[in-house]
Amino acid sequence: MKSKRSLFAKLIALAAVLAVAAVMFVIGRGHTVYFDSKAVEYEGKTYEPPYKVTVYVKGEQAAKLYDGERGMTTWIGQNLRVAFKIMQEKGGDETITEYGIKLPHGMDGIVINIPAYLAGLPEEAYLSEFVSLIAEEPVEDEEIVIDEFGMGLESVE
Amino acid sequence: MNNSKSNASFGARLLSLIRNNTVPLMFLLICAVCIPVSGFSVGYLVNEIVTRMGRNTFLILCLLLPIMAGMGLNFAMTLGAMAGEIALIFVSDWQIWGIPGMVLAMIISVPISVLLGVFCGKILNMAKGREMITSYFISFFMNGVYQLVVLYMMGPIIPIKHANIRLPRGYGIRNSVDLINMRQCLDNLLAVKVGGVKIPVMTFVLIALLCLFIVWFRRTKLGQDMRAVGQDMDVARDAGINVDRTRIVSIVISTVLAGFGMIIYLQNMGNIATYSSHSQIGMFCIAALLVGGASVEKASIGNVFLGVIMFHTMFIVAPVAGTKLTGDSMIGEYFRVFASYAVITVALVMYETKKRKQKSHMGKMLEQAQKEGSEQ
Repeated sequence: MKSKRSLFAKLIALAAVLAVAAVMFVIGRGHTVYFDSKAVEYEGKTYEPPYKVTVYVKGEQAAKLYDGERGMTTWIGQNLRVAFKIMQEKGGDETITEYGIKLPHGMDGIVINIPAYLAGLPEEAYLSEFVSLIAEEPVEDEEIVIDEFGMGLESVE
Repeated sequence: MNNSKSNASFGARLLSLIRNNTVPLMFLLICAVCIPVSGFSVGYLVNEIVTRMGRNTFLILCLLLPIMAGMGLNFAMTLGAMAGEIALIFVSDWQIWGIPGMVLAMIISVPISVLLGVFCGKILNMAKGREMITSYFISFFMNGVYQLVVLYMMGPIIPIKHANIRLPRGYGIRNSVDLINMRQCLDNLLAVKVGGVKIPVMTFVLIALLCLFIVWFRRTKLGQDMRAVGQDMDVARDAGINVDRTRIVSIVISTVLAGFGMIIYLQNMGNIATYSSHSQIGMFCIAALLVGGASVEKASIGNVFLGVIMFHTMFIVAPVAGTKLTGDSMIGEYFRVFASYAVITVALVMYETKKRKQKSHMGKMLEQAQKEGSEQ
């Protein structure tokens, strides 16, 4: 009876640890978020960017974007809290609004198109995965040094 | 007459104090000479020491339990460090950042540490009385296995997604893994600045919790068993204690804590030197503990703190002091490495000498008792 209870307690503890691990896996997922202030076309309609957008993340300015510019920030978790300070036309009034943007767990780099998001378009229109356009140059393999005795025998290429 | 007797006893006491604390006194002397020569301000020194305390103390504390169980200095704490590194490589590849990344890495490191700890404990049970040299070579052996896993299995067998972690050839892990998104996340949590010195409060809270755990653990049944095993294995066995199991448990706990300690250490550094971070960690932790006045058979939490302060003060000031004294910066570098190894050697020699002296003293007492018995 005692051993059964002990086994049960161990299983509960194991389940609790696994649950904590799962929670950490979800809430700790880091993303690099890129903000594009570029015109976007969706279903035949063009959405123009405002004159200037200042992006605030966690109360700090992450980017100041004019037409065609891109800014970047990092975020941990799937609910990006961001504030956009928008100036529609040069010299006009600035309005600041806070938004919560859902980020997909599986993407490392995420591009958010600000005009599309502000226009209330669906996710497929304002959110896309960041793909580096710079082609990776063929790099020489790193030399791994694991020679503890300084005998020059164990470098692996 | 009385005065000369008390002087003699004071002299004997002083001599015994010096003999028992040779290593800490030696380091105190080195620090006393090097600090003024280095020219560092008090603020800078305190800041550096506090940072290094936060970085290293947890790792050094993990050495206490095997000493309590009579297994000496656990050179195989490197195994725990490897487990911590493997866990951090996974977490880094999965892009889990900040505190959640650290917690997840700690959870992942536990099964690996337990496995390695059980393996190490079983081998050490086969080599009773030669635990330190055995654990030292287990760490070398396991380093080879670690290299096999990290260099050849990560990529083709164990999935590694990100190219910035993988070697350009497509498998194996790079020399250095960036932990920029985890860097000092624990140290900066609730950190306060006192007189320009950054105190990593949360890291110290974790260290304090581990100290409390050690104090509590010593009073538990298992803790008492460990102390009994450490004092005399035969007596402990006669008292019904499962000696082998108790010793394995002490190594497993030490390895798991070493894994946690390595994660705390690396979050402070902000990157993993994949093939070298763990290799020297055991040596430096053991040296720091010995500098604090611990011995192969006795160590306390106080020794850990004193050791980490003195050892790292030496580590900070030695290169600059060496440069100023000799004009060559490498002298200081060599000196601190030399001092680390020398302190372990001195401590081991002293331990053996003490043990032999005790044995011969016991022999003499036995001989005298036999003589007295035969005279009666």
